[in-house]
Amino acid sequence: MIAALLPTGTTPLLVAAIAAGTASLWLLLPQASGAGGRTGSLGGFFGGRTGLVGIVLGLAALAGLALAGRRLGGLGEEAAFQLVALVAIVGGAATVVTRSPVYSAIWFALALAGVAGVLLVLGAQFLGVATIVVYAGAILVMFLFVLMLAQPTGMAPYDRVSNEPLLAAIAGGVLLALLTTSIGRLSADPPACCTIPSRADAMNAAPSAPRADNTVPGVAAAPVAAAVVGAADPDALSADPVARLGRELFGRHLLAVEAAGLLLLVALIGAIAVVSRGEEAGTAERGTR
Amino acid sequence: MMFPSLVHDALVVGAVLFVLGLVGILTRRNLIVMFLSAELMLQGISVSLVAWSRYHGDFGGQALVVFVLTVAACEAAVALVFVLQAFSRTGRLDAAAWQELRDAEIPRRIDRELPASDAVSPVWPQLAPAGILPARDETAEPEREHV
Amino acid sequence: MPPTLPATLLVLVPLLPLLAGLATVVFGRRLGPRAHLPAVIGIGAAAGAALLLLLAARGSGDGNHEAPRPVEFTVDLWQWATIDRALEPAAGSTAAIPGTPVGRGASNARPLSLAVTLRLDPLTATMLLVITSIGLLVAIYSIGYMHDDPDQPRFFALVSMFVFSMAMLVSSSSFLLVYVFWEAVGACSYLLIGFWFRRPEAARAAKKAFLVNRVGDFGLAIAVFLIWLTYGTLDFHDVQAADGTILRGVLGQDRLADAAGFVGGTVGTLICLCLLLAACGKSAQVPLHVWLPDAMEGPTPASALIHAATMVTAGVYLVARCAPLFLVSPGALAVVSLVGAITALVAALIGTVQTDLKRVLAYSTISQLGYMFASLGTGTLAGFTAAIFHLVTHACFKALLFLGAGSVMHAMGGVIDMRRFGGLRKVMPITAATFMVGSLALAGVPPFAGFFSKDEILAALHARGWPEHHGGDHHDHEPAASAPPAVRTASLRAARAVTAAPVARRIASPAASPTAPGPLDWLAVAGLYRGLFWMSLITAGLTAFYTFRAVFMTFTGPTRLPPEAAHAHGGGGDHGGGAAHDGGVHSAHHDHGSHGAHGGGHGGAKAGGSHESPPVMTRPLVILAAASLVIGWLLFATHGLGGFLAATPSLTAPSVVATRVPPAFHFDLAIQGTLAAAIGIALAAIGHLGRRSDAPSLERFLGPLQTLFARRFFFDEIEYAAVVRPVEWLAWFAALFDRVVIDGLVDAVARLPVALGDLVRRGQAGVLQRYSLAGVAGVLAVLLALAWQLWQ
Repeated sequence: MIAALLPTGTTPLLVAAIAAGTASLWLLLPQASGAGGRTGSLGGFFGGRTGLVGIVLGLAALAGLALAGRRLGGLGEEAAFQLVALVAIVGGAATVVTRSPVYSAIWFALALAGVAGVLLVLGAQFLGVATIVVYAGAILVMFLFVLMLAQPTGMAPYDRVSNEPLLAAIAGGVLLALLTTSIGRLSADPPACCTIPSRADAMNAAPSAPRADNTVPGVAAAPVAAAVVGAADPDALSADPVARLGRELFGRHLLAVEAAGLLLLVALIGAIAVVSRGEEAGTAERGTR
Repeated sequence: MMFPSLVHDALVVGAVLFVLGLVGILTRRNLIVMFLSAELMLQGISVSLVAWSRYHGDFGGQALVVFVLTVAACEAAVALVFVLQAFSRTGRLDAAAWQELRDAEIPRRIDRELPASDAVSPVWPQLAPAGILPARDETAEPEREHV
Repeated sequence: MPPTLPATLLVLVPLLPLLAGLATVVFGRRLGPRAHLPAVIGIGAAAGAALLLLLAARGSGDGNHEAPRPVEFTVDLWQWATIDRALEPAAGSTAAIPGTPVGRGASNARPLSLAVTLRLDPLTATMLLVITSIGLLVAIYSIGYMHDDPDQPRFFALVSMFVFSMAMLVSSSSFLLVYVFWEAVGACSYLLIGFWFRRPEAARAAKKAFLVNRVGDFGLAIAVFLIWLTYGTLDFHDVQAADGTILRGVLGQDRLADAAGFVGGTVGTLICLCLLLAACGKSAQVPLHVWLPDAMEGPTPASALIHAATMVTAGVYLVARCAPLFLVSPGALAVVSLVGAITALVAALIGTVQTDLKRVLAYSTISQLGYMFASLGTGTLAGFTAAIFHLVTHACFKALLFLGAGSVMHAMGGVIDMRRFGGLRKVMPITAATFMVGSLALAGVPPFAGFFSKDEILAALHARGWPEHHGGDHHDHEPAASAPPAVRTASLRAARAVTAAPVARRIASPAASPTAPGPLDWLAVAGLYRGLFWMSLITAGLTAFYTFRAVFMTFTGPTRLPPEAAHAHGGGGDHGGGAAHDGGVHSAHHDHGSHGAHGGGHGGAKAGGSHESPPVMTRPLVILAAASLVIGWLLFATHGLGGFLAATPSLTAPSVVATRVPPAFHFDLAIQGTLAAAIGIALAAIGHLGRRSDAPSLERFLGPLQTLFARRFFFDEIEYAAVVRPVEWLAWFAALFDRVVIDGLVDAVARLPVALGDLVRRGQAGVLQRYSLAGVAGVLAVLLALAWQLWQ
């Protein structure tokens, strides 16, 4: 069945890379220090042999992923993408496997930087910057703040064990294999629904173009609108993308933006309400102990 | 028509991030790390959305990412409040602490012996002595040996 | 249209006791010792209204000599329910019963319209007067009898509600309403029998009465269903529709005028037998009579009102009301007569050996009701009116006897066993005298009331047994035996018309030959009625015997008082305890739980503290005694009641009118009846007069029969073995089935989810990430399935 699913070309390499990555994750995830003394983690750099093996396997997986990747356009773009993707993936993996939550958070910041880079390479400048600002600047700091508040004594025992690492790693591996395979197959043979109409088709469909305003959002409207602005060409996005994203947001998605703002407000009020009431309960409970 | 190579690779990167976050959620017991993993999953989604946006040549996917950011911020705020509440009840950030909510006759699932504190003693940076040693408040929180 | 005076009165008769009952319920506790006021006032006013109604119901002309015009008068109160197209002729509901002659097709299509309608006719007026006047006297008597009972308000509320229900029963003009109030009086009876429900005997007796009555009520329900299916209506009266057409009632004048208006045959007989079953239940006829003797556990006034004078006559009323229905089924009529005569004889035989005063009276009641049924079963106008006549007189003297027994009991501190007291004549003279009057009336000694009514019943039976003796000679009041031959032939012809009932059979099955004998025709021959006549005559003698046996045992001989009487009335204090140590005497020994407190207050404490009852109790006795003395010859001499009742619509049916004979005093029958009574009294005197009441007496000579009578013909045992025991087995089996099979199934159904839940619950260990892992596994499974589907 797996063989049937496998497309031609680079896929065996991809599968091998995923397998290696799965094994690496399993090995790197924090385990209880049993008789084997598996203390290896990124926290205690190469402290044990399993950690070393895991890191080697992870590097191999990264290499496999890189090799399985498509040849990109120019040398600069390819190098830049591979660099930021590497940073993102390594940061993400380290976030997951690092035992100390504080280090985890810091690795997560690195992963965020990688993701921001990927977004920039993909031509989403605003999002790249926003990710850094919002996540690294606000959310992550909040996490760290809570960490410091909750675990002033540092790493707790439960940080040193993980829950069903093998099963979780296998599940992740299978999922990743499924996703990458389907991405590959879609890429090789996009179904009709996702085919970008050619410019000529778009011109033929011009009478329906007025429907593509912000009053009629819909699945069908997006390709048509894209066709009208000639967005089938990736370069079309590069012209003044931030301003056009803003126009998109405050044009077609105005209502949703307002709703999102409301959501933020509600979450703020809710958080304050819960934390103030919980403080009373918590102090009362602690007082009885 | 083939995907552009960049789109393809970006999708793969997004999938990898998503899966990493998923594995983190499934394995880590620290509530904070679990939320970090959730954020990692959201990052994978964001990368995917932007890649599709590039593929379609419009801004729909990017607009969605803006909303993902919004929701992530809300989620972080509310979730951290709940984490704090949970912590104030149990004194731990351990997700497994809540297995005490199970039925009385069901055995503990997570009863593995927790490892003793790591033998690795951290090497703290040594500062050059300058002036007198500040007086320490002995009643304050004990000095952390490890972060 | 403003309501006319009779309409207002007709509504007031049930309404006043109802209001009195509600007032007693609401204010009873506040009224305290005066809780009897609403009941007495309400029932008294109702009695006045009923008296006026009697005048309003008087028909024109003398019903004894020419057929009177029916007197009928209805008051529509409100529409209870209306169902359009309730009975479709096309639905074939009547055809479901094989051989059912479907009535007028058009009339079957009418909607079910249930109106609350009161009616007034001579029969209703008579019943109303009996109910309210006896009710009033009993209520007054109860003022004395119940005045120390802490539950006095409950008693008077129940009595008021009973009078209301009974008045509604006899004045409602629809079978459904009759059914409703049939149940209502049953409920009142149940509550009054079990009035002292803390005593297990009373509770058991109430339950028994209720359950046995259910059997009869079941018959009434079936009869109502059958009547609805057969006649398409439940109203008694005709209804004038909006378009001027007359919708026939079951007993309406329009149908009565139509010779073919009533359905006979199998269905007709079935209806009549179901009605008879209902009447047997309520009127305590064999084999459903077993509840009435036990019903004496209730307060004595309630026994007098409900279980002697009024409620038990509901069956008589029902059969008389439905006379035209019975007349088309001669077989059913014969069964009515047979049941009545057998009941009369059996109950009288049992009564001869009872030692409990109230039980003697209870069996006497059953016996006299049997007389009434035997009379109804003759199916002649004379029979019907004689039954109602006897109903009226019996209500008077039986209420008198019961209230007298209550008075004795009151004085004896709750003891009612005749062997334990005697010679009370000197202790309580008024009670003794009135009781004597009642006994003479019951025994049928001229000129007391019972003599005349019993004579009419015997005459009615005699007329069916020896039709040739009772001619159609309207002018000759001499005994029919001396009539000239020509007259005798004419009377024979008339009698044959009665006995063979060809009219009825022709109506019943028009297709059948008029001469073809029906399945029950052998019952309708004169021989049966001859036998019934002799049975009744023997019963008359027995009645006299047991009545006077009771009188002699109670009131003559050396004065003996039970210790309870002295204890209760001499000390005047702790009466409840006095009755409680009366363990040796069965039944009713604690009839009057706490009336001793007034004992010291009045009476000259003669004969160890016992005394005559207070005036509030003896005055009703005197009134009833006077009524028992005069009512018989008053009504008989004027032939007033017969002529009055003849205007009842049900009794103006041609089939009834055809049996009309002129009123006559049958001298030979009177002599026979009086002789029987005299023999009975003489035997009682031989056995008991002047002796100690616990002395061995005449019935000792009966030998094994004594056991048979004393054990009441083993009716209770037979019915227990035949009905209760199988039901108990069935119930046991059903309980077993329920416990094992049904509960087992239910438990299995319950255990399945529990088992499944146990299985799944193992995974529900509170481990968050285990749940997430399971979720991810599910997602993976779906994705794999999708991938397989898409890429295959």
